[in-house]
Amino acid sequence: MNIWDSFKIALSSIWNHKIRSILTMLGIIIGVAAVITIVAIGQGTKKQMTDELFSTDKNAIDIYYEYIPPEDDPEMMFWEEPELTSEDVQTLSKVPGVKAVVATNQGWGMMTHNDEQGEMQITGVGAEFFPARDIQVVEGRSLYAADNDGLNRVVLIDTIAREKFFKESENPIGEIINLNDNPYKVVGVYESPLPEQFRNKETGEMLMPRSVISMMFGNREIEQLKVIASDPENISETGRRAAETLTAVKGLENGKYSTNDFEDYERELNTMISLLTLLIGSIAGISLLVGGIGVMNIMLVSVTERTREIGLRKAIGATRRKILLQFLIESITLTSLGGLIGIGLAAIGSILVSEFSPITATVSPLIVLIGVSFSAIIGIIFGLLPANKASKLSPIEALRYE
Amino acid sequence: MMKLSNIRKVYGKGSLEVPVLHGIDLTIEDGEFVAIMGPSGSGKSTLMNIIGFLDYPSSGTYELNGEQIAAAKETTLAKLRNEHVGFVFQQFFMFPRDNAIKNVASPLVYAGVSKRERTARAKELLVKVGLGDRMKHLPNQLSGGQKQRVAIARALVNNPTILLADEPTGALDSNTGEQIMKLFTQLNEEGKTVIIVTHEEEIAAYAKRIITIKDGLITDDRRVTT
Repeated sequence: MNIWDSFKIALSSIWNHKIRSILTMLGIIIGVAAVITIVAIGQGTKKQMTDELFSTDKNAIDIYYEYIPPEDDPEMMFWEEPELTSEDVQTLSKVPGVKAVVATNQGWGMMTHNDEQGEMQITGVGAEFFPARDIQVVEGRSLYAADNDGLNRVVLIDTIAREKFFKESENPIGEIINLNDNPYKVVGVYESPLPEQFRNKETGEMLMPRSVISMMFGNREIEQLKVIASDPENISETGRRAAETLTAVKGLENGKYSTNDFEDYERELNTMISLLTLLIGSIAGISLLVGGIGVMNIMLVSVTERTREIGLRKAIGATRRKILLQFLIESITLTSLGGLIGIGLAAIGSILVSEFSPITATVSPLIVLIGVSFSAIIGIIFGLLPANKASKLSPIEALRYE
Repeated sequence: MMKLSNIRKVYGKGSLEVPVLHGIDLTIEDGEFVAIMGPSGSGKSTLMNIIGFLDYPSSGTYELNGEQIAAAKETTLAKLRNEHVGFVFQQFFMFPRDNAIKNVASPLVYAGVSKRERTARAKELLVKVGLGDRMKHLPNQLSGGQKQRVAIARALVNNPTILLADEPTGALDSNTGEQIMKLFTQLNEEGKTVIIVTHEEEIAAYAKRIITIKDGLITDDRRVTT
């Protein structure tokens, strides 16, 4: 008799006691389904958090000014952030490990053209912005360094704005548009970085030399400063080096430039996730333990019920090992089946979670494998005692059993 | 040929010891038709269990075909049961959810015979015991006599040396019992060693040798000449 025969006997025995088998499997089903769903959600959450952290600003790290009150007057709270210039941007881009520097400022404005009107967000940029942010210019040209230095009142509009303010056949390049009652010349159109599904309600955005924004809106030429690291592994270190360089260049006394330390954040996130995993793991462990005990209980009942069958099998030549194997396979089949059903439920659960919440929960093949093998192991552990009991029955007594 | 020398069997331990067999010497040649008789509690079932390797003696030796059985090892006994003995029980003992073919073929599963061969052998034997038209029936669709025929076919499927029957007609009416006994007689004439344990004189009368046991000892061993 091979394993396959034992497996078939096990399956038919489970099938012959459908309700009992399902009730027995329930503990395992719930345990496995819970673990896999929660792990799937956990992985989804982690992925989403990491995506949020790094996606829009891949390998980018903010550099910001931090005020340090003078020692002799700690109450002194009046301070001014130092002005940053295109020269500072140049300096920063030469710091080792820095791939690019993104220096921007922001403005808002009412744009009017061709009887269309819409509020636009304006980002003030330098020439370095286009390669650093991978901006695709689809018509016309990008901004030059000369546009910034010469305070040229030129703009690039994105494809959303082009659609809104210009006809398909119309060439927007060289057109003069009206922004807050001031004329600007359109020199290019760039592909909107917004994903397709978010585009319909937007009026679009535009890019402008940041010096022009500073002049027209009265804000500082560089409001946000980011460096992009050439190596994502060293993002924190590169950021720190850039900040230190900038502090040194500016000769600051009552302040310094610093960066967010992603390492700390990542470590915190990982600690949180491992803590959560541990908690869920213990709950799942208890659930599976209870399920396993249920399996053991029903297997013991099954052995008692089938005492005469066991006796007969022994009389016709089944060895102790064969009987042990048969009951062990039966309990493994029972728990593995429970595990598979649990995985199925978890898959459905993950689909529902992904459908109705922002988290994308994915059941990975690895976790499925772990789920199945874990339930099989439970089958072995909790099937061993009943199977051993069955195998040790004396054939004479077993046949005499009423 | 099987040769039992000074077989003793004691159940229990210490002060709870219950001696059942007190030194049985018995030789059964191949092809014999033996009935073991005795009142209940005489030890006849224990003797049958020992002959059929379902149990092992507390002391004494058992030789099968000239080879001494190294007893008390479960795996060895299971193998001997599978290869040398076919059991027929009073209560038939069927696998209730398996049809006649599967029931008959069941010992072959443990002998490692392929499914095709198992089925072929089982069918052949079912025809032999007169159940050619009942092969796909489940045990609960068969009468007592038919069940016992299935059990006999099952006992024969491994082509064993010994056919051991424990009160094979005990649960059957006398008419059916007679048919079953005729089947045993036929099998014996074909060369099988048949050993039947019974307490009924009429059943023992089919045998060619009648052994009587009382209080764990053979009190009578006579050959019937017709």
